[in-house]
Amino acid sequence: MTQIGHGGKTISERVITDVAQVKKRIGGLLQLPISGRAARESIDIAYGFFSPLKGFMGKADVESVCENMTTQDGTLWPIPIVLDVESSVVKDAGLKSGQSIVLTFQHVPLAIMDISEIYSLDKMQLQQSVFGTTDAKHPGVIMYNKLNDTFLAGEITLINSPVFQPPYGQFWYTPLTMREKMAEKGWKRSVAHQTRNVPHSGHEWLMKGAWFSTHGEMPVEKLESGIVVSAIIGPKRAGDYIDEAILIGQQTLQDAGYFRPATHLVSFVMWDMRYAGPREAILHAIIRENLGCTHHMFGRDHAGVGTYYGPYDAHRIFDGLPENSLRIKPVRVLEWWYCPVCGEVTYSGLCGHDDKKQPFSGTLIRSIIQDKVKPTRLIFRPEVFDSLMRCADEYGFGSPFCNETYLEKRQPVFTLSTLD
Amino acid sequence: MPDTYPINIWINEERYEQLRKAGLADLAKDVLAGMKVLQVPCDAVQRDELLKRYPSAKFDSATTKSIELLPPDTKNQLFELVVEHSRVEIVSAFLKA
Ligand SMILES: [Zn+2]
Repeated sequence: MTQIGHGGKTISERVITDVAQVKKRIGGLLQLPISGRAARESIDIAYGFFSPLKGFMGKADVESVCENMTTQDGTLWPIPIVLDVESSVVKDAGLKSGQSIVLTFQHVPLAIMDISEIYSLDKMQLQQSVFGTTDAKHPGVIMYNKLNDTFLAGEITLINSPVFQPPYGQFWYTPLTMREKMAEKGWKRSVAHQTRNVPHSGHEWLMKGAWFSTHGEMPVEKLESGIVVSAIIGPKRAGDYIDEAILIGQQTLQDAGYFRPATHLVSFVMWDMRYAGPREAILHAIIRENLGCTHHMFGRDHAGVGTYYGPYDAHRIFDGLPENSLRIKPVRVLEWWYCPVCGEVTYSGLCGHDDKKQPFSGTLIRSIIQDKVKPTRLIFRPEVFDSLMRCADEYGFGSPFCNETYLEKRQPVFTLSTLD
Repeated sequence: MPDTYPINIWINEERYEQLRKAGLADLAKDVLAGMKVLQVPCDAVQRDELLKRYPSAKFDSATTKSIELLPPDTKNQLFELVVEHSRVEIVSAFLKA
């Protein structure tokens, strides 16, 4: 069955799995080592997470994305997807447009790239368009400043399918396998919940509220709507929750019965956060549109950082988009907080006890977890807390948060075959 | 608590029960959904001594205005001392021990 993704285009995987064929294709091709980000994005392109993109963008598309938030053909696209290389490498290897090369990662071939263009970019202009700032403290600006000065455009074909390590493997869905899974569950609608957190009750209610909105007017006897927890897996910073704990913690909500398997699915997407606020919200929507979600929840400060964006800028950007440019609907939510008068976790748009509210402060919850004191069950489900402590021992070198040891010695998210 | 650099000790149901038995329930302040905090006062000299003993710890002057990142075991010991002494002023006892 044809699967239609972003821009109304068919999602087609660009993956060769036949090793003999791969060996024939790559014989004699020049090999170019790429970064972790480029490897993750090559895999994303190949499986259709970025559909209709078939490869890394050329200069005209990048400029169009910056200026108009569309690719040259008018498809909504908010953030350039580019492959940077050292200028000296291009020169020394004599890379040319029209040439095919092998992108390698972890010292083995990952993908074939058919180079269609070699170009340079005005990074300041890029930063201003994507982030609305060129402030050197913005994490996205820092990332762009580290990019090399030369860029390669061209279509990507994956020649080495990543093998996701435990616990990641059970949560890995490509756009096509996710759509199969949704069909199996009988979902007519699904709402994506983007996360980089181990869920506390505030998160749990964000998901529940989004599910009610998504299910909307549909009959209630059949559970034909679901929540897709879509964790972002990418580079980590000291103090972040470890990736394993995020996925296992989210799954624990289901295993312990707080969500039914009939209405809940945990998954992840490999993406290096740009913290581009509203523009990044659109990219997140596109990725989940390709995954087959019909709705996407956006809370406060989505993909934001510091004070660069207003708390609800990522909500408002959807108002200005041309009709039919996205086939996924934003579900916009305010905060859930605990109210001692209501005696429950409640929605800020409903509870009027503003002076009594107790917000779910990340700093506060982090401090409680840091001390390994089991929080009250209205803050954290005890099973989730227990899973967090187990993950700390099993994967986090004793800590549920990324420390230097974890950043240095963590298990890889995926491994690649040596193609022997 | 003027001129102090408190240590926040988180109080869940279990710890609250211990505090209640020690007659100290009133000292715990409600923060979120039944989770309470007990603030153990610390002066500048004691703060510096703690930060020296526990290099992982720091005084968070920006958000919590408290001494953070003490090892969980140390926090446990501090809590036990509060219960044992029936008061929150226990840092000097802790440092002497
Ligand atoms: Zn209320």
